Amino acid sequence: MARIELNLDLNRVEGDLEIRLMVEDGVVVEARTVGTMYRGLEQILIGRAARDALVITPRVCGICSTSHLYAAVLALEHAWGLHPPANATRVRNLCLGAEGLQSDLRHSFLFFAPDFCAPRYVDRPEYARVLAEFEPFQGRIYRETLAATRRIVRIVAEFGGQWPHSSFMVPGGVSMGPDLRRLLACRAELDAARQWLEQSILGGDMEAWLALPDASAFHAWLEQGAAADAALALLNRFARGLQLHRIGVGSGHLLSYGACYEPEAMARGERLTRMSGGFWDADTGRVQALDQGLINEHVRHSWYQPYAGGRHPWEGETVPDYRPDSDRYSWAKAPRYGDKVVQTGPLAELLLGGDAMLQSLYREEGGSAWLRQLARLRRVAYGLQQSRSMLDEMALHLGEPHFEAPSGAPAEADPDGDGYGLVMAARGALGHWVKVREGVIEKYQIVTPTAWNASPRDSQGQAGHWEQSLLGLKLGDSEDTTEIGHIIRSHDPCLVCTVHMMSSDQRLRFSPF
Amino acid sequence: MPTLFWIQTGACGGDSLALLSAESPSLEQLLSQHGVELLWHPSLSHAPTRRFDELIRAITAGEQRLDILCVEGSIVTAPRGTGMFDRHKDRAKMDIVRDLAQAAQAVVAMGTCAAYGGVHAAPPNPSDCTGLQFERAAPGGLLGAEWRSKRGLPVINVAGCPAHPHAMSQTLAWLAMGLPIALDAINRPKAFFSAMVHQGCNRNEHHEYDVEDMQPGGAGCMFYNLGCEGPMTQAICNDDLWQGVSSKTRAGVPCVGCTAPNFPKEGALFETEKIGAVPVRLPLGVERPRYMAYKNLARAAVPSRLRGADQPKRNTTQSEEE
Repeated sequence: MARIELNLDLNRVEGDLEIRLMVEDGVVVEARTVGTMYRGLEQILIGRAARDALVITPRVCGICSTSHLYAAVLALEHAWGLHPPANATRVRNLCLGAEGLQSDLRHSFLFFAPDFCAPRYVDRPEYARVLAEFEPFQGRIYRETLAATRRIVRIVAEFGGQWPHSSFMVPGGVSMGPDLRRLLACRAELDAARQWLEQSILGGDMEAWLALPDASAFHAWLEQGAAADAALALLNRFARGLQLHRIGVGSGHLLSYGACYEPEAMARGERLTRMSGGFWDADTGRVQALDQGLINEHVRHSWYQPYAGGRHPWEGETVPDYRPDSDRYSWAKAPRYGDKVVQTGPLAELLLGGDAMLQSLYREEGGSAWLRQLARLRRVAYGLQQSRSMLDEMALHLGEPHFEAPSGAPAEADPDGDGYGLVMAARGALGHWVKVREGVIEKYQIVTPTAWNASPRDSQGQAGHWEQSLLGLKLGDSEDTTEIGHIIRSHDPCLVCTVHMMSSDQRLRFSPF
Repeated sequence: MPTLFWIQTGACGGDSLALLSAESPSLEQLLSQHGVELLWHPSLSHAPTRRFDELIRAITAGEQRLDILCVEGSIVTAPRGTGMFDRHKDRAKMDIVRDLAQAAQAVVAMGTCAAYGGVHAAPPNPSDCTGLQFERAAPGGLLGAEWRSKRGLPVINVAGCPAHPHAMSQTLAWLAMGLPIALDAINRPKAFFSAMVHQGCNRNEHHEYDVEDMQPGGAGCMFYNLGCEGPMTQAICNDDLWQGVSSKTRAGVPCVGCTAPNFPKEGALFETEKIGAVPVRLPLGVERPRYMAYKNLARAAVPSRLRGADQPKRNTTQSEEE
């Protein structure tokens, strides 16, 4: 039996990633996913004015800074008992939606699809077409994605002033409300994005695409006329040719916080989402209502001062304790839902949110690397649809407030309180938990989507979702591990958010390609 | 063809993503029209990471010419000065950056993190972050104040959190043309760091007449009460609008002074520290007594259309005089 250890590095993820694999007779039997960086933003927040979180936390992540801002403002509003007026939630949803479109499109066509251009695939069917579409800086879709995403983030700039790293969401609302000019400027960007999606990616009408009821309708769509020649069908054929619909399953437990907060409900203080969230327990086959109290983080295999079991983020600690020569191997903590290892992201969001086509594919084929990527592209259509509804609703409510000042003089210290904010970011479930005492932050914990997906082992030794998704993978030629790249990138990793560094006794090291 | 190598250290990736918003020139045009050869970018390069390793080896061995080195992110030096909290394989990124810098014709700090340490270097600076040639406002940093690139330049600090898309793409285009670039006292290209954020802000008229908002969400000036650093911050945000459409201050978000070495400032970011009713820090270069006199007159002259019915309480500069 040949047992070797592989150490892989991956680029084209947001940040840097190392993966340690144990391979026996060409099959992955153990995986550890590790990032390479520690920044400590949660500690920087401690002792600062509560609202400073609106500036500091977006800077956790350059590609999803608006989602951090949204989570931060919800956490502060929760702590202070504030309810944003409906137009504020509409502006927030619109901007989060635009950022999500940007991220999903860039991930799909700048990070994921270029893997199909690997020289080892030169003899595969349609390789020349794949190059023509997805080759970095040369391919048609690649270039169109650069142009389309440049336009879509203008929506965030219209209301936030810039993208990324604005702080336009404030406790009580947003800094600027809608007006006729901004609504139409945003509408133009959404219309352009939809037109491009329909022509270049889907090859058909977006509403018709969203209405597809099941797997067979999906397959039929991809075989008809213009759709058969469009980018989605090409990706689907190529991915299935590589068997990506059969590998990289990972954890069957799914987590979504629900997408698109309902503006009128938020104004009443009810945190309802238009697309429902929850927890899918793969063991019982049931969806459970979300209970944030069940979220806890373990540090048994992480470089933090140890504590027993898991802790809820309000009770969490992030005190570095770098021990490279121990069995701890990551700067990431291990978040768990109850004691369950979960996956989160567009697939979890749309399965729990009720997308019939993806549910049908999931039943027929199970989860996979390709289904995660397909879900990401499908969410682009939902994102456009939801963003458009926000614009249309704002047009009907022009002149209504976008900000309500908290009661009490502004000079008064902010009240004490504990709060949390949960949003579905591009990569999945993002939560911020804050404790405010005497006007300053006493505790701040962030659990990012990639923290869920890329977690190390927990106190019980359960491997994280990515680690599970690599198990059983057959590596034909251990020096060529392109498959690892497909699987890991199908998770849309954001390493800057989450995963930090490792030290390893590197015995063997192979490049992933 | 000028070669460009982009490395990320303690970063969020925001400068790279902001660069994708550049239009004049765009990243694509830098490559196709300015002849820049992109040797490596961590998010955009298609080649596997062994190419990254090979490039580092070849550049430091003098086999591969490096015209422009871009560094994005704070330089992480923890723990205990080893830099191992941020590393690639078994080397601290800090050490890789230092080696690459020695071989580069020009080094550009993309963003406030690489220039001055940035948000990660804010107290308590948990990962001991610094900038390339500054640690916050103090000269030094990773390379030391006296360091010069092969072209004889200090590190060019394209500050901002993130840096403005055109501050990045135009600096790169200019360097690729091989032309000299004028820098200010903290090594930022003067072309992008001479104007104030305040200049071109569409809330200027409110400031002019001392109409100062007490709460977010309004149309007034945010300098007196909401922590806006626009009158003290040098950047092109209100001259060359973000994404071609707006700026934070236009959208009602106080400028947080992200192009300054001391970003983020100590003290609450959304509050203005004041002596009486007047900010401690006044617009750059202004004399306090004259400013007070001007404000009192200005307030008396406020046009009725700026006294909007829904405007919250006005600032009370006069009270300090009364």
